[in-house]
Amino acid sequence: MFIEPWIVDETMHEFFVPDYIEQMAEDVLRHYDLSVQSRQVVTTKPDKGGAIWKLETNKGPKSLKLLHRRPTRSLFSLGAQRYLVDVQKANVPPIVQTKDGMDYVEAGGKLWFVAEWIEPLFPVTKDLEGAKQLCYALGEFHRLSKGYVPPKGAEIASRLYKWPKTYEKTISKMDWFRQLANVYKEMPASSMLLQVVDHFQAQARESFARLQQSPYNQLVELGHSEWGLVHQDYGWSNGQMGANGMWIIDLDGVAFDLPIRDLRKLISGTMADLYRWDVHWVREMIRAYNEANPIDASLYEVLMIDLSLPNEFYKNLKEVVYDPELFLNEQTMQLIETIVATDATKWPVLAEIENDWKENGNR
Amino acid sequence: MNILMICTEKLPVPPVLGGAIQTYIAGILPHLRRAHRITVLGVQHETLPNEETIDGIHYVRVPGGIFDTYCDHVVQYVQAHSFDLIHIFNRPRLVLPIRQVAPHAKITLSMHNDMFQLAKINREEAEQVVRQVSAIVTISNYIGQVIRELYPEAEEKLRTIYSGVDSERFLPGSHPHMASTRKQLRQAHGIDQKTVILYAGRLSPNKGVDKLIQALPELAKRFNDLALVIVGSKWFSEEGTTDYIAYVRSLAKRLPVPVVATGFVPPNEIQNWFAAADLFVCTSQWQEPLARVHYEAMAAGLPIVTTARGGNPEVIVPNENGVVVERPEDPQDFVEKMTQILSNRTLMKKMGDNGRKLATSLYRWERVASDLLHVWQHVEQTDLSSAQAVVPVEAPIEQVVEKPMLEPIPQREKAAPNKKRKKTFVWAITT
Repeated sequence: MFIEPWIVDETMHEFFVPDYIEQMAEDVLRHYDLSVQSRQVVTTKPDKGGAIWKLETNKGPKSLKLLHRRPTRSLFSLGAQRYLVDVQKANVPPIVQTKDGMDYVEAGGKLWFVAEWIEPLFPVTKDLEGAKQLCYALGEFHRLSKGYVPPKGAEIASRLYKWPKTYEKTISKMDWFRQLANVYKEMPASSMLLQVVDHFQAQARESFARLQQSPYNQLVELGHSEWGLVHQDYGWSNGQMGANGMWIIDLDGVAFDLPIRDLRKLISGTMADLYRWDVHWVREMIRAYNEANPIDASLYEVLMIDLSLPNEFYKNLKEVVYDPELFLNEQTMQLIETIVATDATKWPVLAEIENDWKENGNR
Repeated sequence: MNILMICTEKLPVPPVLGGAIQTYIAGILPHLRRAHRITVLGVQHETLPNEETIDGIHYVRVPGGIFDTYCDHVVQYVQAHSFDLIHIFNRPRLVLPIRQVAPHAKITLSMHNDMFQLAKINREEAEQVVRQVSAIVTISNYIGQVIRELYPEAEEKLRTIYSGVDSERFLPGSHPHMASTRKQLRQAHGIDQKTVILYAGRLSPNKGVDKLIQALPELAKRFNDLALVIVGSKWFSEEGTTDYIAYVRSLAKRLPVPVVATGFVPPNEIQNWFAAADLFVCTSQWQEPLARVHYEAMAAGLPIVTTARGGNPEVIVPNENGVVVERPEDPQDFVEKMTQILSNRTLMKKMGDNGRKLATSLYRWERVASDLLHVWQHVEQTDLSSAQAVVPVEAPIEQVVEKPMLEPIPQREKAAPNKKRKKTFVWAITT
C-alpha cells in the first residue's frame, strides 16, 4: 500500500490521519527498541501525505515522523540531521536508530523516522530581542551545516545555482497575475491588482538585473559543502529556546543554498508582521546573524538584492492561480493595499543600510 | 557485433511508463537485432523481470532512479561482460566510468537533450567524453549544434538521426481503423461538429500551452466552430497540481470555446486523440530538442503549428506540412499562423496528407534503425585511437592531448545539415 495525500473536511478532527497510515505507524514502531505508551498526532500535511506524532515511551518522549517527500530526497535531510548532531553537536533533535541500526524505516513508499522530543521548548518573544535570538541561532545552524556531504543514494537537494531561475519565475508569474486579473476583471481585487502589478514586476526585473551584475556567480562557485544548508522553513516555531540554548527543529526541507536566503525570509516576513520596515530591526537582525555566521561584503550585496525583490507581494498573490473567482475578493484587495503600503517603507530602509558593509569593511 | 545499449536511470524499457528515449529504443530494437547481438541494460521496474530475453534481445535491469546508484550498477555489469560496442543513451557522464572497465570497446552516444550543457557535465569531463566516444548521434540538428558550440572538436563525430513514429498506430481520423474512434471521442465530448485543435504535452511554462489559450478568444472571433483539446496529465488532481497548471486551468475556464482537458492518457491510447483532432499545435517556449509529438501529428495526418524553438522547426516545411510561429511568447503570432491554416480547408488537407507521407517515408523506425546501423558499421571499421585506448580518469588532461584520428562519418543525404535536409523533405512530400 502506498501512502497518498488525504482529504480533510470539516467533520474531521484537524489532525485526522487515515487508519491505514496509523496502522503503518504501528508497524514502523516495531522496528524500534521502544515500548510506546502513547502516540498522538501533533501535526499533519494532508495535502502532501505527511504527519508527526508525539510518542511517550519507556525511554522518554520521542517524535515519529512520516516524511512526505520522495525517499531519496528524505535521505538527504536525514543525513543532514545526523551530520549536525554527530559531527557538529548542533542543537537539533538526535535521530533514534532502529534495532538494526538504521536511521529510518521505509513503509508505504515513504521514509519514517524517530527522533528525540526536545523538552522543554519555548518560542522566543515576538519582539526585537526574540528576532535577534532567532537570527543568531540561524547563523549558528548555517555555520555548523557547512561540510555536509549527503549519503550515497540521496538526491542532492540544492537551490544554490537556482537563484536566477527563481527570480525569472517571479517576473514571469507576475504576467500570470496580470493575465488573470484581466480575464477575471469583474472581481473586486482585479483592478487593484492591475494597478500595482507593473510596479512590482519592474522591481523584480531590477532585482534580477542586479543579481546578474552581482558577485552571486562567483559566490556559488564555492560549492555546496562550503556554503552548507538552508532550513527553508525557519521562524518562531522551528527555532525555539530549550534548556541549554536555542534548538532548531523540523529539518525535513533543508537544501544547499546561500545561507542568507533563510535570513532574508526571516527579515521580510518579520517586517510584514510589523506592517512597516524598521531600519533598527533590520540592522540588529543582520548584526545578530553576522555574529554567529559572518557575512562578507559580497554576500551582503546579494542579501540586499534578495531583500529588494517584491517577496511579500509575490508570496501573497501567487495563490491567485488556484481559484481567481474566490481569491480576487475584497479581502485580497485590502491585502494588496497593505502590501503596497508596507513596501513603500522598505526602500528608505534598504537605502540606509545599503552601504553598512562598505563603510565598516568586512565585519 | 556484440552490442550493449545502455538506457537512462529514469524510465524502463520497454516503455511501460512512456518516455521519448524509451520509445525511441523500443522503436528501433526490432530492426537492430537482425544485424547484431543486442543487450539492453536499463533500470528496474516492478512490472518487469530483472533479466529476460525477448525476440532475441537480452534485457538486463538494475537499480536506478538516482544517477550514481545506476552508474555503479552499470559499471559492475560492464566489468563482468564483454562487448564490441557500447551505445549509451543521453548520459555522457556514464562514458568515462564505462571506459575504465571496458578499455577496448567502442563507445557511441545518443543525445536526446541538453545533457552536455555545463550545468550537467563539467567541461573537463565533457572534453574527455568527446574524445572517448566514436560517434555522437543526436535527435535534431539543434542538439548537435549545441554540442558543437561547446565542444567544436566533436564536429566530426556528430550525426543527426531524426526519430520515428509507428504510423500503423498513429493514423489519420479518416483511416478505416480510426474513423469510428474519432467519431466516438468527438461525440462523447460534445465536439463532433467542431474544428478540434489539439495540444499534447506536459503542462509546464516551457511547453507554453497558456499562449494557445490566450490566442483562442481572438481566434474564436474569426472562426465560430473551434474546440480545444488539451492532452496532458495532472489537470484535475488537486495534489500534484502545479501553480502553472492552476493558472492554465483558470484561463481555460473563461474561454469562449469548448475545452476538453483529458487528464492523463495512457501512452498506448494517445493516438486516439490525434485521430480525433483537426489541427495540432505545439506551443513550446524553450529551446526544445525536438518533440516527438510532431512525428505523431504527422502520422495522424494533422497540419502542424509549431514554434521556432530548438529542433522543432527542423521537421516542418513551411506551408507544406505545417507553419512555424516565430514569436511564440506572443499569443497574437499564434492567432495569425493558425488563421492561415484554419481559413483554408484545402491547405489544411494538403498539409495533413503531406505529414502522413513524411511519417510513412522518412520517419519510419526502420529508417532510424538503418541510420544507426550505418553509424555503428562505420565505427566498427574504425580502430580506436590511442587517446581512446588510454584509460583517462586519473591521468591529467595534458597527457591526453592527442586528437583522435577518426575519419569523419560520411554524411548521407538524409543526415545532411538543415538546408539540404529541407530539400529531402520536399522530395519526400512530392513523391
